[in-house]
Amino acid sequence: MSHGGGESGRVHEKSQHAKRKTGASGDEFSQAIAKIAVAQICEGAGFQSFQQSALEILSDVTVQYISNLGKLSQSYANLAGRTDVNAFDIIQGLEEFGSLQGYGGASDIDHCIASSGTVRELVQYVTEAEHIPFAYSIPPFPVVRERRPCPSFVQIGEEPPGDHIPAWLPAFPDPQTYVKSSTENEGAADCNTRKIELAQVQTETDRSLLNLQNFICNGSGGPSSFAHGGGSEAKLAVEGNPFLAAPLQFGEKEVSHVVPPAKFSNEAAVKNPTNQNFPLDNHVSVLDTFAPAIEAMKSSLCDSEEGQKKVLLNPRPAVQFKIGAGKKTLGTALDFSSHNKGVEKISPWSGKYDEKDDKKKRAEKILKQSMQNPGELAQL
Amino acid sequence: MNHTNNPQQPNDARHDDDAALTEFLSSLMDYTPTIPDELVEHYLAKSGFQCPDVRLVRLVAVATQKFVAEVASDALQQCRARQSTVVKDKREKQQKDKRPILTMEDLSKALRDYGVNVKHQEYFADSPSTGMDPASRDE
Repeated sequence: MSHGGGESGRVHEKSQHAKRKTGASGDEFSQAIAKIAVAQICEGAGFQSFQQSALEILSDVTVQYISNLGKLSQSYANLAGRTDVNAFDIIQGLEEFGSLQGYGGASDIDHCIASSGTVRELVQYVTEAEHIPFAYSIPPFPVVRERRPCPSFVQIGEEPPGDHIPAWLPAFPDPQTYVKSSTENEGAADCNTRKIELAQVQTETDRSLLNLQNFICNGSGGPSSFAHGGGSEAKLAVEGNPFLAAPLQFGEKEVSHVVPPAKFSNEAAVKNPTNQNFPLDNHVSVLDTFAPAIEAMKSSLCDSEEGQKKVLLNPRPAVQFKIGAGKKTLGTALDFSSHNKGVEKISPWSGKYDEKDDKKKRAEKILKQSMQNPGELAQL
Repeated sequence: MNHTNNPQQPNDARHDDDAALTEFLSSLMDYTPTIPDELVEHYLAKSGFQCPDVRLVRLVAVATQKFVAEVASDALQQCRARQSTVVKDKREKQQKDKRPILTMEDLSKALRDYGVNVKHQEYFADSPSTGMDPASRDE
């Protein structure tokens, strides 16, 4: 900003812009108005342009003058035992201001305030001075917004949830805004432990349910006839719960052969002889329905009994061999493995994912231990 | 107001003064000062002044306007005096910017008479772009 005093308007705008950028005191609007008014008065006095700093100082002085006069008048009013200011308080304040300059009749200590020299000068100024109205029409400021309080229980016509809450208090927000809802965030580290516990409980219940199913199969001697409705409802159910899924025909879906661990398969064989020959007949069996769950369980058992490396390292694509590969990528890798097995119908709702969590943890540990050097090599 | 029993002041004269003041205040209802009412009200409210009367606000506005106008005319006098001294030396150059400019120099001199001491710095940067070259400043 040049201080040679250039085009006043442009400089003015610029300074406003700069002020807004720097984010001054929040009083910019009134200061800007004061500047415009002062500039108008100066123009009336005969100036045609100004230095920016001079105008700023003069408008600051003007603002100070107004507030000091206000303070002084208010203090005179308070001195007289009033709270509201009247004209005489202002005139007295003006006389005090004018005492530095001197005014007509100042030496007369007994003069009436109504006939003060300052008032006479003011009257003279008003009659003589050029009448310059303010250039803009400005709205009343500062804007005071009416606050809109929250409606109380009485206003919305609700009963407070408890006797200890008076009805005039603001009503509670909708319950869904504060009731905690369970989220499917399997990657969150803080709820991992809780998840693992849940997974254990679920695997137990799953196992008992499976046993029960086996028992029923034994009792009825073969294929069961429930879950024949292959309509849209069943499909919907498939989305939510794999246990409610409509049974797949054998061969409809490519399922990789799962080799059960010896102990489990023996147990199953003893318990359920039909289990061995169900691929032969083309009937839909309950076991077929629960094949994914069984598979999941078996795979988990596999995991725990045999070396995890074999399960976890084999299906991992080469791209995933990176150092710093987080849970996410591992998760996708495991997903791939499950896809390859053809059990994609298992939704994250089931316990398999939780087991996977467990697996993932272990897999990560192993990854970190065993794959440190190959990972580096792969990255290089 | 506290001089009602003043023996030296004749009764009719006091009435005249009262009438003049009342008339002046009522004339302020029609007079709109250059300083807008809203601005004055805002700053008066900030300083604790509370009065619903528009005339008193206008009285303050007129007094402020008078003050500013006096300062401005003093500064103009300073400016003219300074220019008249310089004109002797460089008449040709001064011919160009003959128009009066409100400068810090004149303003500080004028304000000193009113009890406001303004120190005009020899050099100060009031915007971050002051020291830059004009080409980059105008963006």
